[in-house]
Amino acid sequence: MATVEELGVKQRVQWCPGCGNMGVLAALKGALAELGLNRHETVIVSGIGCSGKMPHYLGTYGFESLHGRSLPVASAIKLANTGLTVIAEGGDGDGYGIGVQHFVHIMRRNYDLTYIVHDNQVYGLTTGQAAPTALLGMKTKTTPWGVVETPFNPISTAINGGATYVARGFAGDIPHLKELIKGAITHKGFALVDVLQPCVTFNYLNTYQWFQERVYKLEAAGHDPKDRAAAMEKAMEDSKSDYKKVPIGLFYKEERPTYEETLPQIKDTPLVKHDISNVDISTAYEDLE
Amino acid sequence: MLAFSIKIGAQAGAGVMVTGRSLAKCFTRGGLNVVAYPEYPSIIRGGHNSYQVVVSDKPVHSPLMHSDIVVALNQDAVLFHKDSLSKGGALIYDSRIDAQKFKPRKDILLFRLPIEDLLAKSGATAKMANTVALGAALAVSGYPFGLLETVLRDEFTRKGENIVRENISAARAGYDHAKADFKGFGKSLKPASDKRKIFLEGNEAVALGAVKAGMKFYVAYPMTPASTLLHYFCENDRKLDIVVKQTEDEIAAMNYAVGANFAGVRAMTGTSGGGFSLMVEALGMAAESETPVVVTLVSRPGPGTCMPTWTEQAELRFALHASQGEFLRVILAPGDVDECFNLAWRAFNFADKYQMPVIILLDKFLGESTFSTERFDESKVKIERGKIAKDLPELPPNTRFRRYALSADGVSARPLPGEPEGMHVATSYEHDETGYSSEDFSVRKAQVDKRMAKLDALVKEIPGPALYGRKTADVTLVCWGSQKLPCLDSLEMLAEKGVTANLLHFSYLFPVNVKEVQKALAKCKKTVLVENNATAQLAGLLKEYADAGFDFHLLKYDGRQFFPEQIAGEVAKLAEKGFKGRKEIRIGDADYEYYNTQRYGL
Repeated sequence: MATVEELGVKQRVQWCPGCGNMGVLAALKGALAELGLNRHETVIVSGIGCSGKMPHYLGTYGFESLHGRSLPVASAIKLANTGLTVIAEGGDGDGYGIGVQHFVHIMRRNYDLTYIVHDNQVYGLTTGQAAPTALLGMKTKTTPWGVVETPFNPISTAINGGATYVARGFAGDIPHLKELIKGAITHKGFALVDVLQPCVTFNYLNTYQWFQERVYKLEAAGHDPKDRAAAMEKAMEDSKSDYKKVPIGLFYKEERPTYEETLPQIKDTPLVKHDISNVDISTAYEDLE
Repeated sequence: MLAFSIKIGAQAGAGVMVTGRSLAKCFTRGGLNVVAYPEYPSIIRGGHNSYQVVVSDKPVHSPLMHSDIVVALNQDAVLFHKDSLSKGGALIYDSRIDAQKFKPRKDILLFRLPIEDLLAKSGATAKMANTVALGAALAVSGYPFGLLETVLRDEFTRKGENIVRENISAARAGYDHAKADFKGFGKSLKPASDKRKIFLEGNEAVALGAVKAGMKFYVAYPMTPASTLLHYFCENDRKLDIVVKQTEDEIAAMNYAVGANFAGVRAMTGTSGGGFSLMVEALGMAAESETPVVVTLVSRPGPGTCMPTWTEQAELRFALHASQGEFLRVILAPGDVDECFNLAWRAFNFADKYQMPVIILLDKFLGESTFSTERFDESKVKIERGKIAKDLPELPPNTRFRRYALSADGVSARPLPGEPEGMHVATSYEHDETGYSSEDFSVRKAQVDKRMAKLDALVKEIPGPALYGRKTADVTLVCWGSQKLPCLDSLEMLAEKGVTANLLHFSYLFPVNVKEVQKALAKCKKTVLVENNATAQLAGLLKEYADAGFDFHLLKYDGRQFFPEQIAGEVAKLAEKGFKGRKEIRIGDADYEYYNTQRYGL
């Protein structure tokens, strides 16, 4: 158990003043504290990008992996030690661009872990190139004539791909985001929290004000997260409304056995606690005779 | 005297592997020494498959160029294998094949096997044609039938008692027919003892060594010739109490392997060159974050997709230099199944003790060759986990455990997630002692120095090359990894040709123990380096680190491993010429069992 203060690390935060990452960090700290999780039993796994620095600002265990690879690293940590709370995170380029194959396949597996995506629709750490979620027409360093590719839709992809908890938060609404993260961590299965998160340095289009004018909460609109068809409708609403309406909140939730639950090898004892001091391989020999 | 060799040939998909393995197991259960090797194209139906079984009551290590019996289940098999039959050898062929069409040699026996009739008589199904031939081959070998029955029973039990019975009666029909009708074959095999031996591939021996080491997690994407490692683990996961994960690609596989090791579980991934290409970024992450990881790299010819089901030793340099930046790693290249087992469990100790990547480098030849052997000697197995930190003092508020604390031996304490007061971040960025990313030049230098400092202790654990055969000889063969097998078998052939030779074999490739290497090489007179690649990669490595050189380089890179006859032949030629001539000798199998009907004008 740790308070928000105890979860901090004496470290200068290396994000731009006003960066949406600050909101995600605050919401995550609040969620961890309120859930009463032990710091030593929590692992934050990041990819590379501005979002990748997150593990350094939390007093838990952490792994800052490679660009796009937070999910496979996090998956293995969970399989190795099911006693841990594992939270993967990364940016939209990290998770929906270079690492998208892991995103697509992890949803089929339904490991019990949480994935927070800092979705700012632009590449920040590499100084402002188009991201997979950049809106049509957006001008960036790599799209001087405007983006012509249809934006990647993480919410509909996740619902369609088999994620069992699909939510979207807004870094400008920390209490709401905190509740979504708490729901994701306590959910048994793979939980996606896509966070709309303004990049104050490189994204001149999707600003705090831009979002504040458009977001509304699904809970308040009476959306039923068990209704898959309705969830898909809501997932498309932003593009269909030409981004006049951007729903946030819990889109979809279902209960399905986790991957770990299908493995009798770790039913009683996590892999990391198996005794390996003298493994008996005599039956293996017998099968080879 | 050469060992006894049987080769079975058929079109791909006809089940030659199962048939061949049953035959090989039969000899293994009779206490004989057996080596078996499959050759197959990267096609599921339609290409040519062969399975060679080499048997002897003396030690045998390698496939041979000759066959004493060829079992031809289709026309191509007659075409491809008839010329390698030894004088007096037997060609057993399905009566549906017109063997005369290929102008068979006069110095071999032609045994026409009426498979269809025998199947009908025995009440077996057409699928069991191979089993009839298997029975016939065993009878021609002069071997008793009984052991085949036990092998078929074990092979087919899971398919039900009917299938077992039908297979046994099909085998019996072939056996009895051959006993009655196939006369004049001059050689015969007898069981030597009833001592139980195991029969396993190089890949499976690595698997056993890994499991013995406490490997609890194997993660991979299928790729020939490493797939049998994945298959073995999948088939036995619950029995061995391990978790196996097939991932979306090799990028994921290596990242999983690193993640599991970070969490404290001994984990391994395996692949071939193409997959390893996708893994190298995460290999570097393991090095930078000082996370242990073991990868089994079963190489095949490259570059590109190249020849997926054939063999080559061209990835030593790749393994050595894979991933950007400079970092230490351990490269182990087992030369037989015993070394596969022993280097596999040692690999996990190296990885944990030195917190670095370890590569077990095999090739298709060793990975997919099958050998009879005793159960492995487990008396030396030790589990060394290195500096895993436990029971730590309380951390001051808002601080982190110094995971990358500088230390004289370069290895820092590593708490596992779940350990109270050990909270830290492992990172692929350069970092300070607490794991916080840093671009401070003095921090960078200190951390590089720390990681490199591991070499001193590590190299002391690296033995020099192993010497086989007599202590001094006119010529010393030098090789690494799998080519130990044909080299060993070539020594006796050389002796018969009047050349005294021994073998210096490297199974520990990196780091190089310079003193031990120089000591071993100083005792050699003439040296012939034997490598299954085009550029003599070991020679380059030893030149660089140990200032060593060799008199001759014998190189082969056509997709096949060396045959002992080829090594003996080339070295004998050199001896005849007083070890004078061109340094580089490049050979291939241009005239030996090339599986290409077009070259026969068909």
